[in-house]
Amino acid sequence: MSDEELAKDLGLVSAMTIGIGTMIGAGIFVLPGVAANAAGPIVVVSFVVGGLIAMVNALSVSELGTAMPKAGGGYYYINKSLGPLFGSIAGMGDWMGLAFASAFYCIGFGQYLAVFVPLPEVAFLNPIQIGALIAGAIFVAVNYIGAKETGGVQTVIVFILLSILTVFAVAGFFAFDYATLVGSDGLAPFGTGAILPATALVFVSFLGYAKIATVAEELKNPGRNLPIAIIGSVGIVTVIYAILVSMMLGVVPWPDLSQDAPVAQAAQVAFPESIGPIGGVAAGAAAIMTVGALLATASSANASILASARINFAMGRDKIVTNWLNEIHPNYATPYRSILVTGGLIIVFIVFLGRDIEVLAKAASVLHLIVYALMNVGLIVFREADVPEYDPDFTVPLYPITPILGAVLSLGLVAFMDRIEIALSAGFVLVAVAWYFVYARGKTTQQGVLSDYIGNREEQLPDQVVNAADAVAPNGTEGPTIMVALANPRTESALITLAGALAKHEGGRVLATHIVTVPDQTALETAAADRGQIDATSESLLDAAKADAEAFDVPIETKTILSHRGIEEVFDAARTNDADTVVMGYGGTQFASGRAEGTLDELAHDLPCDFLVLDGQDLDLSDVLVPTAGGLSSDLSAEVAKALQETVDVAVDLLHVVDPGAEESGRTFLREWAAEHDLADAEIRIETGDIERTIERIGRDYSLVIVGATERGLLSRIVRGSLVFDVIETLDTPVLLTERPSSRSLRERLFGRE
Amino acid sequence: MNSSTNETTTDILAHVLLPVGNEDDALATATALEPYEPEQVTALHVVEKGEGVPDKTPVEQSEELAAESYAAVRTVFPDADDRTAYARDVVEAIFDAAEEVGASAIAYRSRGGGRLMQFLSGDLSLKLVTNAEVPVIALPQADSKE
Repeated sequence: MSDEELAKDLGLVSAMTIGIGTMIGAGIFVLPGVAANAAGPIVVVSFVVGGLIAMVNALSVSELGTAMPKAGGGYYYINKSLGPLFGSIAGMGDWMGLAFASAFYCIGFGQYLAVFVPLPEVAFLNPIQIGALIAGAIFVAVNYIGAKETGGVQTVIVFILLSILTVFAVAGFFAFDYATLVGSDGLAPFGTGAILPATALVFVSFLGYAKIATVAEELKNPGRNLPIAIIGSVGIVTVIYAILVSMMLGVVPWPDLSQDAPVAQAAQVAFPESIGPIGGVAAGAAAIMTVGALLATASSANASILASARINFAMGRDKIVTNWLNEIHPNYATPYRSILVTGGLIIVFIVFLGRDIEVLAKAASVLHLIVYALMNVGLIVFREADVPEYDPDFTVPLYPITPILGAVLSLGLVAFMDRIEIALSAGFVLVAVAWYFVYARGKTTQQGVLSDYIGNREEQLPDQVVNAADAVAPNGTEGPTIMVALANPRTESALITLAGALAKHEGGRVLATHIVTVPDQTALETAAADRGQIDATSESLLDAAKADAEAFDVPIETKTILSHRGIEEVFDAARTNDADTVVMGYGGTQFASGRAEGTLDELAHDLPCDFLVLDGQDLDLSDVLVPTAGGLSSDLSAEVAKALQETVDVAVDLLHVVDPGAEESGRTFLREWAAEHDLADAEIRIETGDIERTIERIGRDYSLVIVGATERGLLSRIVRGSLVFDVIETLDTPVLLTERPSSRSLRERLFGRE
Repeated sequence: MNSSTNETTTDILAHVLLPVGNEDDALATATALEPYEPEQVTALHVVEKGEGVPDKTPVEQSEELAAESYAAVRTVFPDADDRTAYARDVVEAIFDAAEEVGASAIAYRSRGGGRLMQFLSGDLSLKLVTNAEVPVIALPQADSKE
């Protein structure tokens, strides 16, 4: 079995219980009283309508979930399809929606706890809020420590709940009285217009199914199990809600149904006072229902806190939030910061909004509905943009009707919410947008499928669309990443100057890495023990780098890498950090230290990006010489020269060495070359004779000579010491050797001028 | 090889299985083991699984943690192998891994924590030393940063 398969341990039943367990807590145990009071017996229809809206969205979630079984759920799909602006909104919406929902579940827990235990009133907090705060604190603590739920506890809880509810339903069936259901004012005492506002209220009872998608990466056979679990759990709870709520209303007249603990009250009435000799049956049943309610609300809250950590993780992965939030606790191996922050929000919501359970329920629903609407739009974008990676195992029926219907129904339901919840949610959306522009835009590297789609059709689409897309595009990737491999404080300034000039010219960023090589033979013992010293050295080196980069006003990030592998680590770091250019010192050849030549050879033959290797310590840039005979690497030389010309105002001279008699054709070639590379204003020099000697002779008068590697793998050979590059060795002037990987184009390799 | 005392018996340091939790823990554990010059080291990270319930930490994040831990171990033992196990029962997973890689011993550093915390997180030290089929080396706490 592969690792990936080992990590998948949730079967269909587990997945289903996550969905049902999260949903059932709210719908049955908390809301029927409040909702019935607002709509009358017709509230049963409200639950069914809620179930239908959830089902349409469940189909879309299933398609997206099977296409991308990744931690994060809705946020992830939206970020991928609509880009990070909407990703930020979705992430914030999902996260806050879960925090509101958790606060709501905690209040529900508090309501039933207050039935059991007398709770005090403290300051402006009523007993229910106190109960909710206790519950919230416990759930957060459990998730913080990661105390293990014994395997399958969730499953057991859900089965206990379902059995309790079945017994309840049977008892209720016998106690059911249609006259009680209808009451004195008929089925719709407030008219049918009350149906949808009540749906808006009870929709929170359907929020659990999407949580299955947030743990999709842990599902066995997600292609099959995910849709069955999501669609199945929505179907099952809708039926349960319809039956149980009708039954409760047929037992207790709707105006009398308890607003706090409806199930306990209905059980008290539904069960006979005594069965044969056994007395107190009704009270016992009510007590069991109360326990059931506590279990149900607890498992809902727990699952929501857990899911919110998943969303934070996914957002951190895309750099929409700082990864600080996702730090894992050293002892408990839990994402404790994320859990604490979510916990803090839950407590704030309980304290300030906990008196009105409707606000919590609806705010959770509005935020989730916004996310669902975006998700449906995202699905359409994936389908229309025809992304090859998008290959769902499950596809929604009746495309595009289903996702359009899902988006319309979701937003439509929002319209039936009250002003306060809409305002709260709008506030969070605005915060998310502000957050994106202030923080995330400069960090994230994710472009959505949508912006690619627009970008690729710039000509066909109206200008406004293209401009709008550009205006919100992330600028984390707008420019290239220039990675500097620092090892020596003496070359730091020169390397950063080059990198800074390049980054500024191309609107990129600098990533300064200090690769601390720990030689195999000597420093094993001291490597880790000297960590403190290494850190100090690194810090001063990287601080100097920061200061130098600031002179160019380019963003700089720094990193210390402790490694045994020297130059290989440079290649690795370039790959993992998606560097576009690596700047390193010629002294970096000391990295090689004779190890693993075979691998190194392979590595250097397959450069991950452009490489610039500087020989020289002090750069006093006034004029640069670029000898060229064409070719890929001298394209790179030209780019560097152009960058230096624009940013530090150096004079650029181009040199082409030809055989005697070919001066004129050489001059034509160089002129064309200069024009092609945007260096038409550079001085052109044509010389005859031996190339290396000429460079040596002329180079002396310049402050820097930029030489393109004339053959592939040159760098590798220099690094391994198998080639002495005369120009570098003999010239006192600093030399910058450039090599551009040619592997990306076979044609260039075959026909390029070498 | 560190076998001057008894040439005939199996060398306890022939192949040490090194369970590590995170980057700092891995570095401290490896550094603590380093003076004893084990011949071969396999770093092990156990990703705690819910087996039926969602995990407390996203799997992808746990795997990142594992990779960082292995890298930390390699700063001390460059040739160390690594192995990732997925299980609800961490200690059982350590034993299984020890058997699968043919480890001569399991070396670990207690992560400390009070009685309550050890109880809640299921005192691994106790289970490790009582049920093991190979020798278990408890490494000294010296100069760790905890």
